Amino acid sequence: MKLPKTKADVKKLLRDFWHGKPHGERRLGDLYADKTGLYKHREWRGVRDTFYYFHMVWLYNYAHMVTDIMQDGGMVNFAKGLWRYRWMGQTYLPVLHWFDRGLEGLRGEALRASAWHYRAMVCVSIKQLMDMFNADAKLHGGAHNDAWQHNIAHKETVWGGVFYPWSDQYTNVPMEMVPFFITCHVNNHTAPHYIDAVQSIGLPGDPCTMCQAEAGLFVQDDIPDYAPFVVTSNEACDGSVASTAIEDWFLDLPLFAMPQPMRFDDPLVQEHCANEIRELWKFVEEQTGVPFNEQLLCEKLERQNALQRFEWEKWDVAAKTPYYPINSVAQALYRVYQTQYGDHDIWHRTDRKISRIMAKCVERKIESFPLTRHRAIAWSCAPLYYSNWTTWAYNCWGLNVVINMDSLMFDMTIRTDNLDDCVLDMARYHEWAPMRRMTVGGMQHIFELWDYMERFRCDMVIMYDQLHCKSMQGVSGLFEDEFRKRDIHAIWIPHALADKRTVSRSEIRRIVNDYMTTVMKEEPLDPSLLEYDDDMGW
Amino acid sequence: MRHTSTRRAARHCPLLRLLRVLLTVAAALYALLFVVFFFDLDGKLLYYVVEPLLCRHYDRMERRNPLDMPYRTDR
Repeated sequence: MKLPKTKADVKKLLRDFWHGKPHGERRLGDLYADKTGLYKHREWRGVRDTFYYFHMVWLYNYAHMVTDIMQDGGMVNFAKGLWRYRWMGQTYLPVLHWFDRGLEGLRGEALRASAWHYRAMVCVSIKQLMDMFNADAKLHGGAHNDAWQHNIAHKETVWGGVFYPWSDQYTNVPMEMVPFFITCHVNNHTAPHYIDAVQSIGLPGDPCTMCQAEAGLFVQDDIPDYAPFVVTSNEACDGSVASTAIEDWFLDLPLFAMPQPMRFDDPLVQEHCANEIRELWKFVEEQTGVPFNEQLLCEKLERQNALQRFEWEKWDVAAKTPYYPINSVAQALYRVYQTQYGDHDIWHRTDRKISRIMAKCVERKIESFPLTRHRAIAWSCAPLYYSNWTTWAYNCWGLNVVINMDSLMFDMTIRTDNLDDCVLDMARYHEWAPMRRMTVGGMQHIFELWDYMERFRCDMVIMYDQLHCKSMQGVSGLFEDEFRKRDIHAIWIPHALADKRTVSRSEIRRIVNDYMTTVMKEEPLDPSLLEYDDDMGW
Repeated sequence: MRHTSTRRAARHCPLLRLLRVLLTVAAALYALLFVVFFFDLDGKLLYYVVEPLLCRHYDRMERRNPLDMPYRTDR
């Protein structure tokens, strides 16, 4: 650090101390320790935002990670789970580093709004894992306690909303949402362990790494025994059917498979799909002995509709103004988590906070991402081990990923005035699941990209190339043709979803850097972020 | 003269002494937490100490081999 020599230097130093360095002078890459991605020191964001981060993100979340556990089942069950399950120990502890990576460079209202999204996800994750540990026979000497009797296990790709009619007496807990999905984002060391486990029993390495890792959890006997029956699905694609077969074998529980059609625009298929849901409800009635509660279903669906209506407000602000205060990774993860898990109080509480922040940004014309050079839309499935690459892209290049496919999948509310229409809408909602509608749901859905691009005023596409999905089952050529025809700048980002070893995070950065320098001929906003080694980082 | 005696009385008041001790401890704790936060000492502890210890434990755990189970399809 240079010592200030002139009065102007001293003034600048004081200004940087008070307000934080302006974007362009921050050199965020200098904060990283080599290879581990740990910080030599955390970012100084100016007095106000540094202390906001210290109090309301770091201290607040560490404190709530303890109080949530106390509230949801207690320290003893938590400690047992931490000692028993690898995904738990490796994921729970570095959570605050997940916040750090996603929220780098944020200031003011964007810092606040994005951090509240992260907080909601942590809260729901704690609820889920404590629901598992409170009931887990593996942690309670093989006993099937009352919590075990009142849980419903299901694949993470089964929408939690189908269990709303029993939500006053039973808790639905997705099997892999925390052990796999959240784990990948928080600590990318964990999923490869499970991928290797399933390959060690003979699975070839080319299926989707989501399905591989989910099956690997069972091969390692690392899924809690927390419910008397299980519901599975073929979502997002047939790879899930394969992992379900392994899960069925190792769980050895009564199982209901609820396959949803991939090509779902045919009205006859719609009827079939609605019947699948009705059959599921019969199965749950048989297993629990508790009758279907239509009133409860409608009440919960209305609450979920309220979340969707607020999401539409958010999209309006993101699409029509530069005042949207939520960064890309917070937007994407919160949305996919909320829509897939289903209604929960924390989503409503968070949305109320976000509503206030967003209103303030619009009224006072606060631009949270003022150095945006390109408004981008991200399409297809993002790399789970580097979902925060978008934070890097804005800090380094001013590339602002305004919206993404994961956020846009569920663009609907569900009718609750009569059960027939309600089930049809629920079937549609289920069919529009993550990685289904716009990746394998047919060309008309895959090419919805162009409409959304226009709606969100985007001038660039980030096209994820999920290698194990064979680049959306091989449609990359069609996209290339369209990009050329429409004169759209598109960056292809290859990745292996959960496995960081195939395309590393630094490789992803190199691809973006190459495009921005050679095609766009632009200079980075923060050159210190161009190249650094974080291969061993969380 | 009067000020000095008031101050002396305050110094001997046990409640005020307790308050002063509490404030000092709270301030020290706050400063310590800020140092931990700012220098990412929590991350370094978890990365270099806690995670390797936990992983060693998970690697050594005895696990049931699910492949020994028959695949029952009659449920």
